[in-house]
Amino acid sequence: MRREPIDPSGLEWSRVSPKYLRVRVLGWLIGSLLWLALSCVPLVLRLTGVWDSFPPLWLAWALPGAVLIAAVWRGVLLPRQVAAIGYAERDDDLLVRHGVIFQRTMVVPYGRMQYVDVAVGPLERAFGICTLKLHTASAATNAEIPGLPTDEGARLREQLSARGQARLAGL
Amino acid sequence: MTHPQHPPSGAPQPVAGDAGPQAGADQGWLRVHVISPLVRGWIALVAVLYFVGRDWFEGLFGPGADGRSPLPEGVGVLPAVGILVGVVLLVAGAFLLSWYCTRYQITRDHVRVHSGIVFRQQRQARLDRVQAIDIVQPFLARVFGLAELKFEVADAGESAVRLAFLKLDDARRLRAIILARAAGVEPDPEHPEEILEAPEREVVVVPPGRVLGSTALSGTSIALVVAAAVVVTLGVVFETPIVATSFIPILIGVGGAYWAALSTGYNFRAATSPDGLRIRYGLLDTRAQTVPPGRVQALGIVQPPLWRFKGWYRVTANVAGYGASASNEGQARATLLPVGTRDDVLQILALVLPDPGTDRPVELFAAGLAGRDGGEGFVTTPRRARWLAPLAWRRTGFAVTSTALLLRSGVLWRRLAVVPHERTQSLAIEQGPVDRRFRLADLVLHTTPGPVSPRVTLADASTAWELFHGQAARAAEARRRSGPEQWMRPLPVAVPQPPTAPPDGLPTAGGAVTPAVTPAVPAVALPPEEALLDAAAPRPSPPTAQAAPSAEEGPVDEAARHAAQPAVPPVASAAVPTAVSPAAAPAASPAVSPAVPPPAPPAASPTEEAPIDGAAPHSGPPAPVLRQVMPVAPRYTPSPPNTEGVPDGRH
Repeated sequence: MRREPIDPSGLEWSRVSPKYLRVRVLGWLIGSLLWLALSCVPLVLRLTGVWDSFPPLWLAWALPGAVLIAAVWRGVLLPRQVAAIGYAERDDDLLVRHGVIFQRTMVVPYGRMQYVDVAVGPLERAFGICTLKLHTASAATNAEIPGLPTDEGARLREQLSARGQARLAGL
Repeated sequence: MTHPQHPPSGAPQPVAGDAGPQAGADQGWLRVHVISPLVRGWIALVAVLYFVGRDWFEGLFGPGADGRSPLPEGVGVLPAVGILVGVVLLVAGAFLLSWYCTRYQITRDHVRVHSGIVFRQQRQARLDRVQAIDIVQPFLARVFGLAELKFEVADAGESAVRLAFLKLDDARRLRAIILARAAGVEPDPEHPEEILEAPEREVVVVPPGRVLGSTALSGTSIALVVAAAVVVTLGVVFETPIVATSFIPILIGVGGAYWAALSTGYNFRAATSPDGLRIRYGLLDTRAQTVPPGRVQALGIVQPPLWRFKGWYRVTANVAGYGASASNEGQARATLLPVGTRDDVLQILALVLPDPGTDRPVELFAAGLAGRDGGEGFVTTPRRARWLAPLAWRRTGFAVTSTALLLRSGVLWRRLAVVPHERTQSLAIEQGPVDRRFRLADLVLHTTPGPVSPRVTLADASTAWELFHGQAARAAEARRRSGPEQWMRPLPVAVPQPPTAPPDGLPTAGGAVTPAVTPAVPAVALPPEEALLDAAAPRPSPPTAQAAPSAEEGPVDEAARHAAQPAVPPVASAAVPTAVSPAAAPAASPAVSPAVPPPAPPAASPTEEAPIDGAAPHSGPPAPVLRQVMPVAPRYTPSPPNTEGVPDGRH
């Protein structure tokens, strides 16, 4: 995986399943089509003459255009976004990183974990992946690892629970 | 009406322990005071009386009332009175039933509350998970001499257990029992009932004049002036005096804010006790909060712009049980000092962070409160980022001591956040495109919800990264060292502490033991010998924790010192040398003069080895006695060379 300047040295990131990219692309396609259809409504109404003058024609065209550009931009970014997700298990803590433009790396000590969530949505289930989420006593800790293969997710959950038990600390 | 309520100490106390929920199911169940539902529901009652009574009252005296019955046509007086009595009886019956069905029990390890009539609720909370205990007296409860007891665990917000209402004395006694058991104090086997309240030493009192002044100079006043200016400008520009009416809601809001500040800051007192920090305040509603040692997750010190002239600060804290409520009550609960001088702030800091982890705590915190640029170990935003934060870049920064991380920010509203290493939940480093262009990054410390949200902004990227790693290692190290949740219970089995080995050879792991290690700043630590010259301040050593207070300290209770004498028992258990108690951290610096925050915890450590099974021989006074030792308030002392240069701080 590509190294970012923000990355710590001497650390091997585990990356998420490539299937996650497909899930994201599917989701992106569905979402983009919906938005595009919605943004085309004024244009269609204008062209069919239901609305006679209110949105100027250029505005009616510009709306779906803008939505299209945004969708393409998000689509271009998607593979890099998915590639930028990484996690690394260290002795005392778990590192999670996200983001291409706004990058964020988080360290969650095992002893601080209050509970671990594993969530599977319908699309994710079809591809055999899951999303793991860590919770600490802080609401700001939104450490999420999406796109884990189901067995890896289960392994990680057990591993994290066991390590959390071993390094249990109070608040 | 009879009072079938048992005082908590009168009933057979369930000291028997938690053999099982059934074992003690029938003993020790208590009920709250019988008139509690009335005190709780008085607003509803008053509202009903008002609406019902007003019609009736107006009917009596209104025009044309003469000769007319206040009752509707065709309704006799007798049935009407009957209906009224019936309704009253029904309501009273419901109150009584709800009171009867609410029972509570305090066992050795748990507090249990059963409530509900149709939908029953049985709640149980572990005593050693207590984050804070409040005794609240709303105005009406005060009139009746009642109080509400709130038991907070780390669920951010709603109280785990609320006992409303008890007699004030009973509430106090219950609080003492809960705190003693939560602290891990074994009751005296001969007198298990005798759990007294731990003594406390008052350390900070906020005079009413200062509360008034701070309210007048608060941010609310600034907002009021700004709003007035806007309204007047709009009125002049558009020549419509109507705009002035929009000022009314603003005035109402501002009045509410003033009232909240006054009523919660009034009569504010902070005290230290073996049970932790104790604060009291309130004008009409009064509140006494107890935050046991080690429960403060992060501390924030704020100075609004106008307070600068008086040298005042406000101290707020994240406590897991208090949550992040934005209500007046929530904000007041999270306030450890509504307004105080720098001395007061340092006093509160010394209570919350007995070991500052540096040789120069006074200078360090002074730099944190009002300083800018480097110095005292602060690392600020690099110069290349000055256009991103033209005012704040010289002030925004952080400093690391061996026990806490200090985050400084704000030019108009000066802020300082202090996060003990062992309380860090998780960390994140964030970098946006602009940050990347300037090689900067933000470091975010995650703590429990509350008013303090520590964040290092616009730090040099490599520095931030170093801090990120170092902080993770320091937090892990501090967690290993941190004492038990039950703050007066010795470590059950002395875990051999890894001396000071930096884990995994991470970059700044050494910072866990050496004070104030920050990159690119020359060490400011004094040679310890020099620091020791400061009066008679002895170097604290963990096992003999009863260091005599230094000569220039404030008046120290003689009795307390005498009482403290037997607190150093003969070393009797093998666990003693390695038992590390929370307060006597290895890096205890000579700068803390009496060195022993609440003197009880370290002293308690050597007394017993394995109190859980109760088989360990007592080798000294029992813990209940130690808990009665009057605490010595720790203070930071300025380091010798700068003693003269430090301003008094009082204005």
